[in-house]
Amino acid sequence: MLKLKDIIPELELKPASQNFDSNHEVTGGYASDLLSDVIANAEKNYLWITLQTHENIIAVAVLKELAGIILINDREPDPNTLSKAEKEGIALLLTPLPAFEVVGRLYQMGLRGL
Amino acid sequence: MEKNNSISKLQELAYELKIRDIMTTRVTTVLPTQNIKDLRKIMHDSSISGTPVMENGKLIGIISIEDFIRSLVRGENNKTVQDIMTHHVETLCADEPVIHAVAKFEKFGYGRFPIVERKTGELAGIITKSDIIKGMLRKLEIDYREEEIHRYRASHLFEDVVADHINLTLEYNVQGQNFHHAGEASSRLKKTLQRMGLPLEIVRRAAIASYEIEMNIVIYTNGGKLTASLLPGILSITAVDKGPGIPDIQQAMQPGFSTATTTIREMGFGAGMGLPNVKKYTDDMQITSTLGKGTEIITKIYLKDQNAQT
Amino acid sequence: MTIEDIKKILKAETLTGEKLLDREVKRVCASDLMSDVLSFTLEDALLLTGLTNIQTIYTVEMADLLAVCFVRGKKPDERTIQLARTKNIPILTTNLSMFESCGLLFAEGFIDSFKKEP
Repeated sequence: MLKLKDIIPELELKPASQNFDSNHEVTGGYASDLLSDVIANAEKNYLWITLQTHENIIAVAVLKELAGIILINDREPDPNTLSKAEKEGIALLLTPLPAFEVVGRLYQMGLRGL
Repeated sequence: MEKNNSISKLQELAYELKIRDIMTTRVTTVLPTQNIKDLRKIMHDSSISGTPVMENGKLIGIISIEDFIRSLVRGENNKTVQDIMTHHVETLCADEPVIHAVAKFEKFGYGRFPIVERKTGELAGIITKSDIIKGMLRKLEIDYREEEIHRYRASHLFEDVVADHINLTLEYNVQGQNFHHAGEASSRLKKTLQRMGLPLEIVRRAAIASYEIEMNIVIYTNGGKLTASLLPGILSITAVDKGPGIPDIQQAMQPGFSTATTTIREMGFGAGMGLPNVKKYTDDMQITSTLGKGTEIITKIYLKDQNAQT
Repeated sequence: MTIEDIKKILKAETLTGEKLLDREVKRVCASDLMSDVLSFTLEDALLLTGLTNIQTIYTVEMADLLAVCFVRGKKPDERTIQLARTKNIPILTTNLSMFESCGLLFAEGFIDSFKKEP
């Protein structure tokens, strides 16, 4: 079973939020920039890959009990997004890589999505 | 266009060109009753190696220098054309594409085919392999020259025009809040710039910038105008709207900053990349905005640098 | 690799542009935000997206991309397909998710179309 602490160093992700459990298990991945899509289709303990930085992403992660969020393409979270992530204990991870490559590498680590 | 290699261009031409375009129309013909001794002289004088045989305006055979030589080898010298000619004649119609002639040369191995009019059956001309090669080359040359002229025109679009002030303006109306038609103006602009022959990279940059501007007008205002002006050495894209105005332009230019609603975001826009994109793809960008009055965006793309690169 | 290969890998269906599937593709862009596509994508890429509105087609046109493949079995409306047809933009649709689609194509050696500068 993959955990956040396995994925973070492997993909050289930079945690933006500090308050999260790095032992949180990750059962799958979901890549989307459409919030309604994530709400409808992502599963519990999935890692979400997106370039949306709006604070609403934290609400979605809480609602769907996601393992965390990877912000791609060097995106910085909005200040409100970051403070909400800290408050809710959601892992908010940053990377300069684009979505296709992040997902490709996660897939090679054995992560699947639906 | 440039990706076309010359072979496929030739194939294309062979379909496009009609036999009529490349055949020889002034055909020397002989009568069936002529002595073959005359034949040698006729062929020599017209420097041809074969000719149709005509009787009462009708094509009845074809005779070549090979027929003549074979006859000589057989020791015949008092024969007439009809004795040694080929009676069964393979012909082509003048309105057929050149590719048919190519196929026929390959199939029969003959040196020439008489060409007839499809409707009347009259002899219209004659075609040899050399006619095909010459005809295709001529057409290629014309096409090439036209392309050159076209390219020249595009790259010098405004240098050659003599006037005190030059400005070609393309204006497009953009409806606000109409997501059904959003993108159409930029699509039309892109097509027009392509047709004018502007370098592809310039067209692409202009298209992306105008599309982002157009989406902004659609999302945030009740409509406006998108204008592309070609000035000497500059392509300028400007937009004017009577929208709410931008309170803080510097903030609006920050990548990721957006005031878009969730609905807009769900449509794939409003991620705060619009204006930064416009800046990224143009060489100069000025925004003036008055709250409650509207916004004007003026951008410039320099054509010169692009020319220097190519 | 061609669009046809991508179609096979993703077990996708062609909605328009069946005759254009022999186009060469090396790069893939995965995004649902069109400004991001316009900003960071090299031309000649295939766009993987879950966004099926008409703006997707305009974006592909503006950015000189090769084709679009919709994920999660999404299909655009007839007007969008029609627009793509007139602009010679092939549309594929796959039942796989964005995540699975990216994973499979990445494993087959496709590279990201990402670029920093215009």
